Amino acid sequence: MYTWSTAAPAISAAFFASLVEVVEAFTIVLAVATLRGWRPAALGTAAALATLGAIVLALGPLLNLVPLHLLQLVIGILLLLFGIGWLRKAALRAAGVIPLHDEDAIFARETADLSEEVKRRGASLDWIAGIAAFKAVLLEGLEVVFIVIAVGAGRGLIGPASLGALAACALVLLAGAIVHRPLARVPENTLKFGVGVMLSAFGVFWTGEGLGIDWPGHDLALFVFAILFLGTGLLAASVARRPFAETAK
Amino acid sequence: MTIFKDVLAELFGMFVGDAKLSAAILGVVAAAALLIEIAGVEPLIGGGVLLLGCLAVVLEAVRRAPLSAAATLAAPPNQS
Repeated sequence: MYTWSTAAPAISAAFFASLVEVVEAFTIVLAVATLRGWRPAALGTAAALATLGAIVLALGPLLNLVPLHLLQLVIGILLLLFGIGWLRKAALRAAGVIPLHDEDAIFARETADLSEEVKRRGASLDWIAGIAAFKAVLLEGLEVVFIVIAVGAGRGLIGPASLGALAACALVLLAGAIVHRPLARVPENTLKFGVGVMLSAFGVFWTGEGLGIDWPGHDLALFVFAILFLGTGLLAASVARRPFAETAK
Repeated sequence: MTIFKDVLAELFGMFVGDAKLSAAILGVVAAAALLIEIAGVEPLIGGGVLLLGCLAVVLEAVRRAPLSAAATLAAPPNQS
């Protein structure tokens, strides 16, 4: 039985991180479907989901063979590398140092690239479109799989974290089916900022547990870490904004 | 084969997108581990070093990025 304070951070981190990844994959699948129809898009997506499922089924049982402290330490370090990387990029985007992720622009670029490829190789090559959808779902899906395992494995919360990820997939598919265009109005950088904060907090928590640290307040320490990373990320974005704006003038 | 290469590149990029940032994070983890395992300090002190070190890494990684971006903007166009 899970307590709310234990499961909520894992579910919400998996949900929001998956939301970002699924929106990115959806943009490319939609570009494929717009250009070549839904058949290659759906086939590519289904093949990628089957590959991801096979990876999870193959690697999942191996996690049980790893000693818990070692698993927490390795996952904690990977989460720090991944989470702080996201937080840094989101802070730089918030500061205007690097451009925001633009789903409309990505959709237009992907459509142009596919058209070019189809022209070059002949109009009957639906597999080019299918492969594009396959790659997009596989590459974004790998990040989702990592995040679900990373936030869930240390406390046996892979099930609830998977539910968070599935809820994100369902939400994006529902929204995509309704609007039928790239989900450009999703506040992607705000989500990435929040996810970077949560993954970094999980990273410190698991790395510490792996090193034998008994955090005061146990799981509640995660919330304190998240608040500290949020404050530091916001401070960093405001510090970054100043010298860049001055020199850019 | 291209897909396999793309998958490997994606996995590498997930964790080592910025080599300096990755090295700094691993340095902080190593320092906390050394304090706890070798120097034998109270684990919670090692935890404090880990937490504060990671917060400092975030601040420094974001602070130095616009300086290098600004330097690139300020450089003459023919400068490589």
